[in-house]
Amino acid sequence: MASVNSPLGPKASEATSWNFKLLAQHQLDGFGGMGEGMSVQIAKDGRRIIWLAHESAPKNFTAVDVSDPRKPKVVVQTDLPQSFMRSNSLELTGDIMAVAYQTQKVGQKPAGFELFDVSVPEKPKSISFTDCSGANSRGVHALWFCDGQYVHMASGAPDFKPTHPLDDQFYRCFDVRNPSKPVEAGRWWMPGTREGDSAKPPARHKLDKGYRAHNTNVYPQRPDRLYLTYIDGGMYIMDIADKSKPKPVSHWTNSPPYTGFMHTAMPLFDRNLMIVTDESTENNALDWPKLIWILDAREEKNLMPIATCPMPPVDAFSSRGGRFGAHNIHENAKLPTAWQSDEIVIGTFFNGGLRAYDISNAYQPKEVAAFVPPPPAGTPAGAVQLNDVFVDERRIVYTVDRHTGGLYILEMDF
Amino acid sequence: MNALFPSPAAGQFGRRQRRERGARIPVTVVTGFLGAGKTTLLRHFLATPEGHGTALIVNEFGAVGIDDVLLRPSADETVLLGNGCLCCNTRSDLQNALRRLVAERERGQIPDFCRIVIETSGLADPSPILQTFATDRALGAEFHVEVVLTAIDAANGKATLDWSAEARKQAILADRLVVTKSDIAGEAATAGLIVHLRELNPRAAIDVAVNGALDPRQMVEPNDALHGERLGFIAEAAHSDGIGSFVITDTAPMAWNAFARAMETLMALRGPDLLRVKGLLNVEGCRGPVVVQFVQHLAHPPVELETWPDENRESRVVFITRNIAEQAVKDLFAAVRGLRASS
Repeated sequence: MASVNSPLGPKASEATSWNFKLLAQHQLDGFGGMGEGMSVQIAKDGRRIIWLAHESAPKNFTAVDVSDPRKPKVVVQTDLPQSFMRSNSLELTGDIMAVAYQTQKVGQKPAGFELFDVSVPEKPKSISFTDCSGANSRGVHALWFCDGQYVHMASGAPDFKPTHPLDDQFYRCFDVRNPSKPVEAGRWWMPGTREGDSAKPPARHKLDKGYRAHNTNVYPQRPDRLYLTYIDGGMYIMDIADKSKPKPVSHWTNSPPYTGFMHTAMPLFDRNLMIVTDESTENNALDWPKLIWILDAREEKNLMPIATCPMPPVDAFSSRGGRFGAHNIHENAKLPTAWQSDEIVIGTFFNGGLRAYDISNAYQPKEVAAFVPPPPAGTPAGAVQLNDVFVDERRIVYTVDRHTGGLYILEMDF
Repeated sequence: MNALFPSPAAGQFGRRQRRERGARIPVTVVTGFLGAGKTTLLRHFLATPEGHGTALIVNEFGAVGIDDVLLRPSADETVLLGNGCLCCNTRSDLQNALRRLVAERERGQIPDFCRIVIETSGLADPSPILQTFATDRALGAEFHVEVVLTAIDAANGKATLDWSAEARKQAILADRLVVTKSDIAGEAATAGLIVHLRELNPRAAIDVAVNGALDPRQMVEPNDALHGERLGFIAEAAHSDGIGSFVITDTAPMAWNAFARAMETLMALRGPDLLRVKGLLNVEGCRGPVVVQFVQHLAHPPVELETWPDENRESRVVFITRNIAEQAVKDLFAAVRGLRASS
């Protein structure tokens, strides 16, 4: 047999689409650097609107009409009041949207979260702003809101002084049943991260990304459970039956020997599994491998890793530019506009693109689709940096670039 | 494993698929007698956007890989299999080539192809190639034969079909028949060939290539004869080789066990004469149709689809067999069903 050639050379393989069909890309009018907040609304007039959080200022959020996924149209794009702010995260239930505000430094204002009435998508109306700023707070990084009643978040607070400056954001829950007057319902932090704790501060990791909250997922199927990731602190299942007194049920971490920054913990209730992701934060794969983990959760007090989703080869991606590794996944938020699957996991991997895994056999996840677009115009990273993903109930997949590429809309072709 | 972590969304055959191939890499097998114009068809296809991302496996019957030289500049990957026919001594070469393509793709050493086209030598019998994907479970999990396409030259095709059993078998087993060189042969000869081909293989779609060019979708999209109206017109096609095709249908949902036992019996007694069997079954307890496929004594793993392709809920299985009477097969199925009912 003759040898296998690569007539197109090594660059040719960098853009790829396998079992995903690109329907459209929209660079969002020149502000295509997107964060990790994506939520779909069916407006009263029947239009399907996707709300997108930006990675950084100057833009706050953008709404895109995706009724025809091949012809996305920007409906509204709003500005942040300060250049040092970022609204990296948003979530929407019905016509109420919660938006997280984080500042670059502690002590800056405004920092917290804002609720908007988006019943007229062109004209988002502020309902309330909740101040979470403080001498040791940068406000809210990420939030979760899918029951219309409580907003769960990773936030600082004016009365919280961390033992280490990187540990400023912890779990907070606000009752927003009266959206014009959110009230804090409960909070929890990892023992040792607040000054005055009896526990010793945790040992720092090699890359030291901080012991603070990231994702704070609570699903209506188990309203008494919080699936909390804590960056360098791994993840916790929390008992929040009494929201004023969250209690750890179990804790799992992969670091060390891995390099920290646990990002998302998603339960698959019917299968007794959990999907846990790390986030890659270093360029050129210096923190490789950043993975999606499958955990046996039959005993919630004894979580057991049983597999990871196979990654494409690091050598093929490490020098493409920017980050390479896991980050966000579609999180099965129990909303009528969100796709639900406990057999397929879809995640973003920065320059590794978007990847889908069949986890029917939980011990052997298998990649079934991948989408790596070419570097978007104007990107400083040199390669695409797919940051977040959301799948609507029509199985249309939305993914965003962290720098300039904006929104990519795809169809699952498998 | 799934017993530990079962998904309520899964069916009895695992995750329900939107289509038969699921997420597997689609394979197009291109057959056709020597000089039928396979290479020209492929060159046109590879130049189209639909041809992008194709890894090509060329099987040459001869010492010099001429087709490989012609096609190499346009394919994303080209693998030339050694001297010999795919259906004979180079079958393991095909298996090795496919494994190697997957491994090198996963290691990032070759471009990320999304389709394989296998160009067989003119003399190749396609059934052993189809068998390869059923016997080699590792390959079967990665690849799915989406289209078996046979090119027939309008100028010489009729004569070739008359004298060559290999050419007839290629035409009978195809999902798509492509008539080439119609510009040389003229309208009457082309029309005559099409009538003859329709008799030989009533299931296949028949297309005419114009100046060597074919709508590229016909190279890659399955011909779902089981879904379309064509099924309704199938009459038993018998040939001098004893090869015939017939369809078994059933309006009542089938018990999977009964169907499986009937097929096991058939394969055990007459495996070599079951050239190709493919069907959509309405299986008791299944939401979508179950796609079944057999090549001689080998069964592909059944796949349950998420939805039925149309309103028709009948089970329908096409048999291409050698010297097996339709009635005997129908009787076997009836007997198995009867035994189950009375047990």
